[in-house]
Amino acid sequence: MYSNNLLELLQADVKAIILQAEQLRQQSTEKLTQEPAVGIWSVAQVLEHLNFYNSFYIAAIEAKLHLHQSSPSVMFKPGWLGNYFVHIMKPAANNVIAKKMKSPKNVIPASKPDATNQLSKFITHQYHLLNLLQVSKTANLNALRIPTSLSRLITLKLGDTFRFFIAHEQRHFVQIKNTLSVMNALLQDRA
Amino acid sequence: MPMEKAQLKLFLNNIYPLPKTDLDYFVSFWQPVIYKRKTILTVAGETEKYLYFVTVGVQRAFYLAENNKEASIVFTYPPSFSGIADSFLTQTPSLYFLETITASSFLRISYDQLQQLITEIPALQNLLFKATSFALKGALERHIELQCFSNEEKFKTLFKRSPHILNIVPHKYLASYLGIDATNFSKLLSTVKI
Repeated sequence: MYSNNLLELLQADVKAIILQAEQLRQQSTEKLTQEPAVGIWSVAQVLEHLNFYNSFYIAAIEAKLHLHQSSPSVMFKPGWLGNYFVHIMKPAANNVIAKKMKSPKNVIPASKPDATNQLSKFITHQYHLLNLLQVSKTANLNALRIPTSLSRLITLKLGDTFRFFIAHEQRHFVQIKNTLSVMNALLQDRA
Repeated sequence: MPMEKAQLKLFLNNIYPLPKTDLDYFVSFWQPVIYKRKTILTVAGETEKYLYFVTVGVQRAFYLAENNKEASIVFTYPPSFSGIADSFLTQTPSLYFLETITASSFLRISYDQLQQLITEIPALQNLLFKATSFALKGALERHIELQCFSNEEKFKTLFKRSPHILNIVPHKYLASYLGIDATNFSKLLSTVKI
């Protein structure tokens, strides 16, 4: 795939996520903080979970992009591990999550995070991510390698890190949408 | 692509004619780009990086208001400029979003590139001044329409100015553009005689 096309597509994906996040600002704190069922994450918890990853990957990508000496390559060739990660993360075309996954222990959120705070943190991260995608137009998506949060020794190509990381956010925004419709029904019943 | 660049040249010529060599040179810096339908090109809070020229498709700028209501600000379609004009010109964060309604293709130029070219071709200033002036005139006229016109007058003005838009833009977006209720809009569509 063309490197520039990939980055344009991913920028559009992040912008769509920002719009959805902006729409969350209008929801009541109750709707965002309450768990839809026992053991199921609230929207605020999902956001905190995403913020863990945002902090990690944005810092990791920025560190590699800072003073990078690479020059852009026209084509980006995904790695096998990158493809695998994107494949298991990315929601299907009909916005359905095929297979549930468990999150690693170190990224499990607090029981009652502050929704407003998590949301504004999340949105700030997304603008940062947009800038990194723009900066990456001058970098080599194949040659720069970013450590994963699993282990410093397992690295992905910069292009794959962006694909995987943004697919992960899309996945959780499908979850947020589902959680909100459950919460809407719950709160309506009570009213 | 050569055809799209010819469209752009024709469009620019109608605003402010440049000498042929300058026009060719200027247009050579515009890059083609294609987006699927319902793609967000610019988000609120981001500073517009590009000036677009629409060659295919319809786009919409909208403001996300309270209760997640979307107020449609402006529609763009060929041949015209697109992008968040005020954010682009002032290089300050945009207050609203820009999205494609249908699959769209554009030619576009970045702000930095444009600034660079202005130093090389000073007459570009005149062209941009002309284009911005007409955009301002359009915006102020629309301000009058929104404040003083009745729903029926608003509808008639839109219908006269851009009749084709009724076929390509979802009516709920047009209703919000005119600042009228979606149900009122469909009533007007069935009753107003043009």
